[in-house]
Amino acid sequence: MKLDVNALGTFYRMAREGAGLAAGRLTHMLGVETKVGVTKLNFMRGQEIRRDFEDSTEKVGVRVKLTGGIEGYSVVVFERENALRIVETLLAEAGPDADVNADVDEIDGFDEMTESAATEVGHIMNSGFIDGWADVLETVIDVSTPEFVEGQTAEPFFGDIDEAPADDDLALLFQSQIETVGTEVGFSHYLFPKRESMSKLLEQLRTSEGIEYDKLDGFDRMAERGAEEVAKTATTLTGIDTSVDIRRLNFVSLEAIPEQVANEKLVGVAFEFDGMPSGYLLFLFDEESAHEIVDAMVPMEVDEDGFGEMGTSAIKELGNIMASGFLDGWANVLDTTIDHSTPEFIHDIGAAAVDPVIIQLGENQDFAFVFDTVVMADGREFDCEVYAIPDESDLERALNNLDVDRIEETPTTAEFQEVDNT
Amino acid sequence: MKTYGTEPGAPTPVQVGISELVVSDGDDTLKSYGLGSCLAIALYDPNTNIGGLAHVMLPDGDTADNSERKPGKYADTAIRALLRRMVEQGANYTAVEAKIAGGSDMFEFESFGDGVGQRNIAAAKTELEKLGVPLEAEDVGGEYGRTVEFTPGTGTLVVKTSDGDNGVMEL
Repeated sequence: MKLDVNALGTFYRMAREGAGLAAGRLTHMLGVETKVGVTKLNFMRGQEIRRDFEDSTEKVGVRVKLTGGIEGYSVVVFERENALRIVETLLAEAGPDADVNADVDEIDGFDEMTESAATEVGHIMNSGFIDGWADVLETVIDVSTPEFVEGQTAEPFFGDIDEAPADDDLALLFQSQIETVGTEVGFSHYLFPKRESMSKLLEQLRTSEGIEYDKLDGFDRMAERGAEEVAKTATTLTGIDTSVDIRRLNFVSLEAIPEQVANEKLVGVAFEFDGMPSGYLLFLFDEESAHEIVDAMVPMEVDEDGFGEMGTSAIKELGNIMASGFLDGWANVLDTTIDHSTPEFIHDIGAAAVDPVIIQLGENQDFAFVFDTVVMADGREFDCEVYAIPDESDLERALNNLDVDRIEETPTTAEFQEVDNT
Repeated sequence: MKTYGTEPGAPTPVQVGISELVVSDGDDTLKSYGLGSCLAIALYDPNTNIGGLAHVMLPDGDTADNSERKPGKYADTAIRALLRRMVEQGANYTAVEAKIAGGSDMFEFESFGDGVGQRNIAAAKTELEKLGVPLEAEDVGGEYGRTVEFTPGTGTLVVKTSDGDNGVMEL
C-alpha cells in the first residue's frame, strides 16, 4: 500500500467537505449558527487514540458501518456534556408544544428520549461527513443504522471493531471541529477503514510514485525523537521539569496552519533548516511561559519592560538549543545531517509569525505535513508549541531513502506523562 | 472559515481567512487576523457602499494552475475577483478605490530572498495600476503583524498591531 500527497490532498478535501455538510445539517437541525473550525488529517497510533479517550471524561458516540466506496466504520464522538447540551437545544427547538420537558437543568442523563435524540444528531453528522466524502470521491457509500455508544475508555467505542488500529498501528484520523456561536460543539471524528478498502482507494487516487505506507512509521519515529529532545533540552536549560504532552503528525492545507495558532500575542523563535529535508521550525510560547523561562534562565533581577535584551537573548538561546536537539532527533532517524539557521526572535500576534513560512512554502505546495508538539511543565507555566514544517518533496525523498529495518531497530522509548496543569 | 446559518442581529465581524475574499454591500465589518507577510486588500465604491476584503498569500496567480479555484490566494487574481463581484452587486468600476495593509517581512531567512511580504505589496500595486484603481491609503512593510477591520460602508480600514491601544491606525 502506497500513498502520495495527491491522495492525502483528496482525503483532506473529503474531511473539509464532510465537515461543511455536517455543519450545515447541524445548523438546519438546531437553528443555531455553526462554523467549521480547523480540519486536519492526523496520523495516530492505536495507543495514542486510546490514551486520548482515557482523560476520565464521559463520552458518547454514534457509529455506523460503511460499505461500498469506503468500507469500515465512521464514529462521531462527543463529550457527554456537549452531547447533552446539543440534545437540550434540539428538544427546546422542538418547541413548547412538543411532548418533552426541555428545561435545560433537568436533563442530567440519557433516557430513551434523549438517547434517541443524541443518536439522531450523531447520525446526521456521520451522514454529512459520508455524503461529503462520496461527493469528493464521486462514488456511493452505504451507511448502516446508527449505534449509540457510551463510556469512559476507548473499549466500548472501538473494542469490537476489527478495523480499529492495534496499539502500534498508525491510523489515519479525520479531525474536524464544528463550533456553534454561543455553545461549544467540539467533537472528534474517527474513520476506521478496512485495509483493503483503503489500499484500493489510495491506488486510485495516487498520481505519483509516492511512499510505502509502512514508511510512515519513520514519520512517527521522527516526531517522537524530535519531541523528546525538545523536552529534555528545555528541562536541562531552565531547570523546569517538562514533558511531551501532545505529539501529532498532521496533514493540512497551508492556510489551516496559522488558523490553529492562538489569536494572541506570543513569543517565539523561528529557524529555517537545510538538509534532507529542509523546511522551517517554530517554537511558540505564551507570554507568561516566556516570562517564566526568562526568570529561570537569567539568575539576577532584570529591570526590563516586556522582553528586553536579556530576555530576548535567553529565549533565543533556549530556542537554538531546542532546535538543535529536535533536528538531531530527526537526523538520527533519517541517518543524515540537518543544519539550521540562527534564531529569529518574534513577539507578535501568533498567526503573523507563521504566515511568512506558509507563504514561502506555498510557492510550490498546497499542503504540508506539520509535526505538532506541545511541551508542558508540571505545576509551572511552560507551554511550548513546536511547529516543524518540512518541504514536501524533500520529506518524501527523505522517507523513501529510509531503511524500514533500521526504524525497527530503534526501540520506542517515549513515555507520555500525565501533566497536571491546573 | 465558512459560517453556516445566521443569527439575526449578531454584530460579529465576518472573518476573512487566508486565501479568502468577501464582498459585502452592508455595514458588515470584514476582519482578517494576524497578517504577517500576507496582504489585506480592501476595495470599495464610496457611492454605492459596496466593498470587499481579500487576505492574499502569494503575488502571482496568473502562473498558478489553481488560481481559478482559489482566486483569493493571489494578489492579482484576488483584485480582479473582488472587482468583478462588486460590479455584479452594483458597484461602479470607475469609482472603486483601494486600501492595502500587511506585507511585513518578519524573518530574514536566506530562503526568503527579497522578502515574501515585499513581493505581495509589489504585485498588488502593479495589478491596481493596471486596472486603473487608485490606491487611497496603505500601511505596509515593516517587521510586525497586523490585524485589519474593513467596513465597506464607510471605506474605513482599521489596522491594529500587537502594541495594544498604541498600535491602532485608521486608514
